[in-house]
Amino acid sequence: MTAMATAPAPGRRLTAVAGAGAGLRLLWLELRHNAMAWVLPVAIVLFWLLTYRRDMTTPPMWNLRAAGLQSGAVLDFAIPVTGAAAWMGSREVRRRVADQVAITAWARWARLLVPWAATTIWAMAGYLGCVAVLYGVTAHQASWGGPLWWPAGVAAASLPAFSALGFVIGTFLPSRFTAPLAAIAAFFIVALSTELIHGGQSPWQVSPIVTGPWNLGPQAGVATFYPFLPDLSIAQVMLLAGFTLALLGVLTLPASGRAARTVAAGLTGAGLLAAGTAAGLTGTGTMDAHGMIKIPALHDAANDRPLQYTPVCSGTAIPVCLNPAYAGYLPVTANALAPMLSQLAGLPGAPARIVQASVSFQQDAHEGMIIRTDGPRSGSPQPVVYLVLPDQFGDPAMTSEQVADQLVAVYDTRLVARVTGDGPAASPSQNAVAAALLLAAGQGKLTTDQPPSPQGGIDPGQSPGVAPGTPEYAAAERFAALPEAARRAWLLRHLSALRAGQISLAQLP
Amino acid sequence: MTGVRLVRLYAVCRRVPVALIAIAACTIGLRLALLGHWDDYGALQLPLIFEAAAAVSVVATVSSPFGEQERVAGGWLPFLRPAVTVALTAAAIGLLAAAGTGEHLVGGILDVLRNIAGITGIGLLCAGALGGGLAWTGPLGFLVAAVYALYTQWHPPALTTPWLWPARPPHDVGGALCAGLVFACGVVVLTVRGARDRAGDPAET
Repeated sequence: MTAMATAPAPGRRLTAVAGAGAGLRLLWLELRHNAMAWVLPVAIVLFWLLTYRRDMTTPPMWNLRAAGLQSGAVLDFAIPVTGAAAWMGSREVRRRVADQVAITAWARWARLLVPWAATTIWAMAGYLGCVAVLYGVTAHQASWGGPLWWPAGVAAASLPAFSALGFVIGTFLPSRFTAPLAAIAAFFIVALSTELIHGGQSPWQVSPIVTGPWNLGPQAGVATFYPFLPDLSIAQVMLLAGFTLALLGVLTLPASGRAARTVAAGLTGAGLLAAGTAAGLTGTGTMDAHGMIKIPALHDAANDRPLQYTPVCSGTAIPVCLNPAYAGYLPVTANALAPMLSQLAGLPGAPARIVQASVSFQQDAHEGMIIRTDGPRSGSPQPVVYLVLPDQFGDPAMTSEQVADQLVAVYDTRLVARVTGDGPAASPSQNAVAAALLLAAGQGKLTTDQPPSPQGGIDPGQSPGVAPGTPEYAAAERFAALPEAARRAWLLRHLSALRAGQISLAQLP
Repeated sequence: MTGVRLVRLYAVCRRVPVALIAIAACTIGLRLALLGHWDDYGALQLPLIFEAAAAVSVVATVSSPFGEQERVAGGWLPFLRPAVTVALTAAAIGLLAAAGTGEHLVGGILDVLRNIAGITGIGLLCAGALGGGLAWTGPLGFLVAAVYALYTQWHPPALTTPWLWPARPPHDVGGALCAGLVFACGVVVLTVRGARDRAGDPAET
């Protein structure tokens, strides 16, 4: 008896099925006649020209590719999606059928949501295709890690929002001018939203084209040693979802029943609240030491722990070990340092390994950025030298030769100084031996140009070098001219005395 | 008298007055924007965005609300179409150039002339290929590419092709030639065949 009373009547179930079927049919009709299908090639060409090509010039690292995807795709799709949606939204008036469709059985909100949904589906399909290609190629090239889905999700969340914006403008201001001007307005707002960002705690960083601290820009050193922080992405998705809800609520407000108007007003209010909350939360965010925005209310402390990985190491006399995300740099790094490492391997004071270190980021007082090598991790079982690649310091894109030159300039002198005890207070013979080792390693000059340290300025631990015409210079030339075996044998016997300053220039072979 | 009436009717049915209002709004917008303080990106990209908006306003007028009937019966259309479009383009150039008077408009009048003419030309070509309704897709796609080309001036590898003329200096001959060629081709297409009418599409206002 009870079961019979609570079961839905067969007639009502049939009506629901028929309604869903009609809705799907209407959606199918809208998909077939949607302007977005015509505009989609423009978005795809823009994506290829501006985002894909540029992303492919960056190293195959997920953090860089994902950041490029987010900011690029949002800009590439903003104009086509907003324009197409505005065009669809203004269709009833442009084609003078507003009165005809107003008397159909479908409620106004349902009638309007279907073309919006169709526009969004077309845009989403195109975007997902673009993401699949970009991430597929990156998966093929990247040496470690996996796709970062939050940046891709932010760009995906922007599509319904742009679509809703265009559709609302097209519905309420229908004309042939609406679509292009709405699209330009959307582009104007998105592209220039970053002009409002001042300081590290600007709520405007919630703009969907921002992927991290705005004055830092995409960095290879971010999200490789520590997990990607999704805090900003969560706020951006919240903002975009809020805008979408609010706009759809506005769309369904006029000329609907009382219940529908109440729901629409609620949706609009909730959407605006979500968007405002997202901007407010972003304003509380700060850049953490790993170069990402940390928003306290959205932060998961588990993301502060360093990533676990097995380093990739070279087969050089002293192994060079890099984070696997940078495996592509291993041949360049190993080849650049190999001549010096083969000379120093086995000598007292020589490192057992050279290990890549992470960098830390800090904002200075003038909105600039200070990037430092992270301190050595405690508990390291072997004597190691920590190495930081130029890309981790946000240096402009370099060729392999430039990377090698910079590594040699910085680390050869540092390694030699570590072994010989060379430095500002070193004896003339220490200077001479250090210069000779550099020459023997192929640096081709005895005068040690002091390369800038990664923190800027001159590394105080490095030798001032030897000047031509001095006794040190002559001794260095003499020592460098020895066969490698003889040089090595002498160093093995006399290195302790050399470091103690007990060897004179005359005693150098 | 009949000629004047014909021009007036043509202008009204093509929404030329609305286009003029849109261009005037772009002028005011640019003027207001120039009063603000922008970084190098903003100073270069802002005028281009307003120039593109003015150009698409011109392009939006080429769509016919009558379609095939007008094409068959309108003997003066090959003269009216280019004349009105060129006049609107000239008005857009003049107004936006005037907006920069007394303020630092990056690129100056030559930039305004080249960019509006070129982007309008792209729109006219799109109107011939896609129809007046979707003619804006080409100019706006070009706008995004041009803004990116400007961005690459700071972030190499730079896009330096003259076909992306907004990223070239105002006195660059290659960029001016490309923009001029595109505008000329657009006007020729507009004169000869006008905006494409797709069979089965209902007339639009």
